[in-house]
Amino acid sequence: MSQAVVSVNAGTLLPVLAPAVGAAVVLVTDVAVQHLRRVHYLIALASLVVGAVATFAGLGMVAGAARRTLCLPAGGQCMYVADSVTTTLQLAALLAAALTLLLSWPDDKKQSPGSTAVIMSLVLTATAGATAVAGAHDVGSWLVALELATLPTVALVALRGARSAISGAIALLTAALVSFALLALSAALWFTATGSGFLTPAAALVGFHDPVRRPILVLAVVVLIAGIGFKLSLVPFHAWTPEAYDGAPLPIAAFLAGVSKIAAAAALLVVIQAVAPLGEPPLAAMAIVAAVSMTLGNIMALRQDGVVRLLAWSTVAQAGWVVLPLAAVSSAAVHASGAYLLAYVLATLLAFAVVAALVQIRGAARARDLTEYRGLLSAHPVLASALGLALLSLAGLPPGVLGLVAKVAALRPVVTSELWVLAIVAAANAVLGVAVYLRWLLKVISSPEASEQASPPAVPDGAAPVAARAIRAHPATLVAVGLTAVALVLTSLSPQMLLGMLGR
Amino acid sequence: VVILLLALVIPAVTGTALILSGRAFRPSAEGNANTLSLVASVATAGFVTAAVINRPVLDQPWLPSLGVRMHFAVDGISAPLLILTAALSIAVVLNARSRPPHGGSSSTFYGCLQLVELGALATFLARDAVIFYLSFEIVLIPMWVLISRYGDSHDLAARADASGRFVLYTVLGSTLMLIGILALVQASGTANLDALAAAHGTGLARHMQIIIAALLLVGMGIKIPVFPLHTWLPPAHTIAPTAGSVMLAAVLLKMGTYGVVRLVIAPLPIGFGALAPAFAVVGVVGIVWGGLACLVENDLKRLIAYSSVAHMGFVVLGLSSGTTAGLQAALFANIAHGVVSALLFFLVGGLKERWGSADLATARAALREVSPRLGLALVVGFAASLGLPGLVGFWGEFLAMYSAWNPAPDRPQTLMRVLVVVAVLGAGVAAAYSLRVLRLIWSGDRTTPAHEDARGGEWSVLAALVCAVLVLGVAPGLVLNSTSKGVAAITMEVSR
Repeated sequence: MSQAVVSVNAGTLLPVLAPAVGAAVVLVTDVAVQHLRRVHYLIALASLVVGAVATFAGLGMVAGAARRTLCLPAGGQCMYVADSVTTTLQLAALLAAALTLLLSWPDDKKQSPGSTAVIMSLVLTATAGATAVAGAHDVGSWLVALELATLPTVALVALRGARSAISGAIALLTAALVSFALLALSAALWFTATGSGFLTPAAALVGFHDPVRRPILVLAVVVLIAGIGFKLSLVPFHAWTPEAYDGAPLPIAAFLAGVSKIAAAAALLVVIQAVAPLGEPPLAAMAIVAAVSMTLGNIMALRQDGVVRLLAWSTVAQAGWVVLPLAAVSSAAVHASGAYLLAYVLATLLAFAVVAALVQIRGAARARDLTEYRGLLSAHPVLASALGLALLSLAGLPPGVLGLVAKVAALRPVVTSELWVLAIVAAANAVLGVAVYLRWLLKVISSPEASEQASPPAVPDGAAPVAARAIRAHPATLVAVGLTAVALVLTSLSPQMLLGMLGR
Repeated sequence: VVILLLALVIPAVTGTALILSGRAFRPSAEGNANTLSLVASVATAGFVTAAVINRPVLDQPWLPSLGVRMHFAVDGISAPLLILTAALSIAVVLNARSRPPHGGSSSTFYGCLQLVELGALATFLARDAVIFYLSFEIVLIPMWVLISRYGDSHDLAARADASGRFVLYTVLGSTLMLIGILALVQASGTANLDALAAAHGTGLARHMQIIIAALLLVGMGIKIPVFPLHTWLPPAHTIAPTAGSVMLAAVLLKMGTYGVVRLVIAPLPIGFGALAPAFAVVGVVGIVWGGLACLVENDLKRLIAYSSVAHMGFVVLGLSSGTTAGLQAALFANIAHGVVSALLFFLVGGLKERWGSADLATARAALREVSPRLGLALVVGFAASLGLPGLVGFWGEFLAMYSAWNPAPDRPQTLMRVLVVVAVLGAGVAAAYSLRVLRLIWSGDRTTPAHEDARGGEWSVLAALVCAVLVLGVAPGLVLNSTSKGVAAITMEVSR
């Protein structure tokens, strides 16, 4: 039964194909009819929704089950394998991208006419890269997909053209290049060590059992963790994060904090699943990286006075939590990591959405300044409640039950493996994290009188018309806030909704 | 089952609704928020009582992926604490009727109180270790809001410090506890507290038991609080509004000791046995330290906070003895301290509002002269606090020392006896500081500056608590009989 070189099942690939095709359609439309804005948004949103719907079939599958395609003939290995964790991460990436679009909608009027299509196609391309890397099981497409998820974000950060945006983009670009070099090196080492282009446990074991090739394999994994560490903002590869977040337009910062992190974590999980049978040695590095990331991220976040920089450092700390369970090698650890990632993404996106709404209401300078959040609860009770829920979820305290459950899930594999020191470090960081987020929340809930006269309403330089015009936030932004908040409330009431997607 | 569910859903829904409706109630209809939360508290108390009588069990899967079950039930050990929580929740709302909160919208205030009640009830009802942890955390943020927003606003930096310290200490404690719980669940293969207690730690290696017990004891030791970890308590109590202090002292601290019984003593007898001497030592150090601090402390609220540290020391001593009598004593002293500290914090909170500060060095009108009702309540409260026989404070502390004198066979008898002697000295100090306070503010014949006596909601709350102090002092069996069966089941294995 002779077929093409590989079998292709378009239905299984749809979460990847939809945003990719969407990007192409946007560009073609832009060539055909110029100066469109809304149409591009609708095409982009539609393609993301199609991709999201396409993931439903793969959610909540039993352990071991997966949807495969791009398989070599005669029951050979597959280049695309999507199990429940993969599919859930794809769904999360698609929805996070859709949310970013909603947030960037109101910014659009300020931009030059052609840029809408460019931004849309870049967002869609990066999203396609994120969904592709989650399923990629061969070194080549894994590497390409990961870069596809990264490089468009450099352009997205730079597009605004402000000096801070350029410096942020340069920081991001440098990080991306270094990480690409490391990843390419590790891919080559992997191929040398295993003789296989596939990221599978079988390939890893081949290299592991050969005493000559074993050090090469370990080196491959360590270099690879370093490469991913750049993308995931793990210490010591985190330095670009605050620069890039702060320089980027807010929706793009949300994209970096959401979709990019999902892409990086998904890429990491693919590799972790492949090397899991090897046991502890290559992953001991993970414990150190997790502990250091959390600690440094939280301490730096505690010192920030700008909310975007605070969120950037909080990303560093949260990235530590995401990789924390991976210090223990088990399939439960992969689940836990996925669960923590989803909880983090949901809460962070809600925080970004609220900040975006406040940028429209109060102007960028005030909305980005932590001290200006004093008395937010009495000024904007709904937005403040949403922000409070997001912050408490990040801190892992009720009523943000989702964050709490994620913390439980993340700590469990660590405790199961009896890594007591790491567990204690994590506990200390839970405290630091609470301090970070409550510092912000305390401003939000405290009474406004004390500050109103202390700080005159800041006039954002260069953005004065925005502050004057926008008293209410754009409906699209409010929809974004509302959808994320509802999602967070529902998953807090019943975290199983989210955990169930990751598989049984 | 419906009863049990309602007992939790009512405070949850009212609390959330009150907080979200913050603007709707302001400021003309402050009374409405109070009435609504009073009705909710009474209804909750009704359902809690019904649950205590009927003993329903709710057991539903909640997080199958993590093996967590929504498992709630009542037994003899938790029943008195549930009643205490429900009753005090009514009391704080009633008291706030005559002494309304300052510092922000009152509906948020009442909403937070409801959520604190929810968390406390859920903690005492939980039969799943992870749900226990989750419930433990529910009280944190509402309590933090109560302290940081409605607390004493004289010194804003001190207020931020107190609330921050409270929440950070407690999170550290509960996260360590979570690690302990996860390790316990992992090692014994079940999260069901009843199954854990029934197993008595069989199948768990000694070193494992000690590690887990140490994590849990440090975690809950912060909450109780045990001596070197108590430094969050005095500022939190000093700053918190009356309702916050009452709930903190009478309910939240009990969650720590309750957790020790449920999660350490019952499932990890060997591990706890190994650590019990150290635990007893810090408990007794707490008794003496707290007592000495009380002798020189000039802030009345802070003084009562330190006396809480001392009283919880007796609870710790009773827990460490490893005998049935000791556990009984600890659980009784728990309830006793709940009632007495609630009484004292209501009183002192009211006095602080009347005086404008709680400084003992300032000359004031003697309570005996100008406000006999407050005076009476104060005398009863401090008499119970110093452990006068016939009042509620006596039984717990007496029994705790008695049981520690004859500890379980695996405890170092000499050490325990030395500790009892020191604890007796601590009790003597308690008498000294109690009388010091009474001399300073109760006796004397100054009548200026005059202040009003307790009336309305405040007086009915004080009177009810005074009655509780007397009734439980005369008939401690009400509580002891309830807990005896559960305690016997726990210690059977321990004392063997």
